Amino acid sequence: MGIVLTVFRKELKDSLRDRRTLFMLVVLPLLMFPLFIGLTSSFIASHEARAQQRTMSVAVFMQGNEPGFSDYLLEQESVELVEVEDRARAEELVRSDSLDAFVVFAEDFDEVVGQLGTGHVDLVMKVTEDNDIQRRRLQGVLTGYAELLRERRFRDMDMDVSVCQVLEFETVNLATVQERFAEVAGGILPYMFVIFCFMGAMYPAIDLAAGEKERGTLETLLTSPIGKMQILAGKVGVVILTGITSAAISFIGLYAGVRYISSIPPELFDMLMSILRPGTVVFLITLLFPLTVFFASILLSLSFTARSYKEAQSKVGPLMPVIIVPAFIGMLPGIGFNALTAVIPVLNVTLATKQILAGGADPLLIGLVYLSLVVYAALGLLICARTFSRESVIFG
Amino acid sequence: MIEVNDLVKTFKLSRRQRREEGWPEGVHEIRAVDGVTFSCMPGRIFTLLGPNGAGKTTILRMIATLMKPTSGSISVCGFDTRKQPGEVRARIGFLTGSTKLYDRLTVSELIRYYADLHGMDEELYQERRNELFDLLDMNDCAGRRIGKLSSGMKQKVSIVRTVIHDPDVMIFDEPTTGLDVITSRSIIDLIHRCTDRGRTVIFSTHIMSEVSRLADDLAILHRGRLLFNDTYETFRRNMAESSVEEEFVRVLGKEEPEWA
Repeated sequence: MGIVLTVFRKELKDSLRDRRTLFMLVVLPLLMFPLFIGLTSSFIASHEARAQQRTMSVAVFMQGNEPGFSDYLLEQESVELVEVEDRARAEELVRSDSLDAFVVFAEDFDEVVGQLGTGHVDLVMKVTEDNDIQRRRLQGVLTGYAELLRERRFRDMDMDVSVCQVLEFETVNLATVQERFAEVAGGILPYMFVIFCFMGAMYPAIDLAAGEKERGTLETLLTSPIGKMQILAGKVGVVILTGITSAAISFIGLYAGVRYISSIPPELFDMLMSILRPGTVVFLITLLFPLTVFFASILLSLSFTARSYKEAQSKVGPLMPVIIVPAFIGMLPGIGFNALTAVIPVLNVTLATKQILAGGADPLLIGLVYLSLVVYAALGLLICARTFSRESVIFG
Repeated sequence: MIEVNDLVKTFKLSRRQRREEGWPEGVHEIRAVDGVTFSCMPGRIFTLLGPNGAGKTTILRMIATLMKPTSGSISVCGFDTRKQPGEVRARIGFLTGSTKLYDRLTVSELIRYYADLHGMDEELYQERRNELFDLLDMNDCAGRRIGKLSSGMKQKVSIVRTVIHDPDVMIFDEPTTGLDVITSRSIIDLIHRCTDRGRTVIFSTHIMSEVSRLADDLAILHRGRLLFNDTYETFRRNMAESSVEEEFVRVLGKEEPEWA
């Protein structure tokens, strides 16, 4: 055991002095979420602000009706009333983005409204993801105008507008904080942990296996008195440690991003943090551990079969989608946690985490998740040990 | 002492190797070492001479337990390389021309690492380390990272790494390849020092001048077979050609092994 620790300490020291490893282990997981959250929040906020302040050009076709709406529109902020000769021309201008929208009142609008009917109005514009705010603004204007007309109608009838509200309802939510947020948080957290765990393990595995072969130091190491499996144990230990550490650091980055950068209200943040009790975090780590052992074994096995660092990267790279897809599927709502999904690696970690966070997880299924992960970890180690034993792998 | 008996090593060829190296159809394995027998005695320098691809490195790797023989046996200091590989590795120092070091470790860290792998106790390690560092004038660079050292200094570090545990058997695989004259000289000096202390030394080379300067016993290897195995003195005495180099080429051209 002492000799394994000697190898472990040296490999860890060597790995931590590699800039690529440090970047993937510490910098990327720590900064990714704050940067992502910060950039996304500020982009969305500035996009919203710009969209709200932008002056919209709108044409109105009253078609012989009273110009009440035109006057109402002129009172709105950041709206410019534009004269356009006809509807066809207005459509042309909207399609060419020279006009934001036009409003067409039905010819019989005043008549229908006067007879206590519902007048028809067309709001014509290009509705896309980009100008959704403009759509909401104009719909808000029309809704405001409709409210104005409704109040006038009831005043004319000498009645209060509240008489048309026959029923009001309020939703009383009995779902706990856990139930409300676990579905979302329980999907995102393991997704994030699994990805960073894999990425944190990947570069050290390549460096300690293919990198060592390429640098020519492996042959010398193998002439020392310690056994091959002791050397391998030291390397596996380092890769596992870096994987788990990367996941833990990504959590710190997420906490910092949500706490200090995003616009999540403090009470909501407190609710989110209440889900992540120490017990939950410990549970997540115990789930991640056998999964990380599995990752480490497979990464080292593939890296040992490569002749160079670059070749190892090309062998290991395709594993990323193999890891990401089941993690992503686990995030989706409606994916059942059952005996089948409990044994699919990565997916089972995501689903088990969701269940634990929501409360009421089936202990048998959780047990099945652990058992399957331990079996995969053991198989991975066996494959790794066999690979490292082959002369063609060491000297190939 | 090293004893090698009827050593054979075959390698299976992968499809990629057959394709890339142009092996004919039907050839699935190659015999890199073919029935080699020799002994290396303590206090003598045993030289394995042969052209590239002769099988020298394969033999040395088998002695160092890096590879397993297909058949035959190797014993190092009385320990069988197949049955007691750990015991063998505890008694050998291995240095090749392609030996690399850990660039991100300091000199002291590297030497300490290998000392720990050999289970050296603290007192012995310090004594040995100080002796070697003084001998090779390495005290100034002890705290520097190996990646920052000159190639000559790196070779010195390799030497210390190889002998820190004072092994009984030294294995050198073309140790001076790619080195300048001065650095090569330090390797040659090390080899002499080892034999002066009664160590068993085996080294491989394809450089005739090294053979002339170092060899006590000589084995000439070609295509995995020994063509000559006797003392260097016997080789020189029975030369049919005027120079050692030409005699070597002549021996390589023989179908059958030739020794006195």
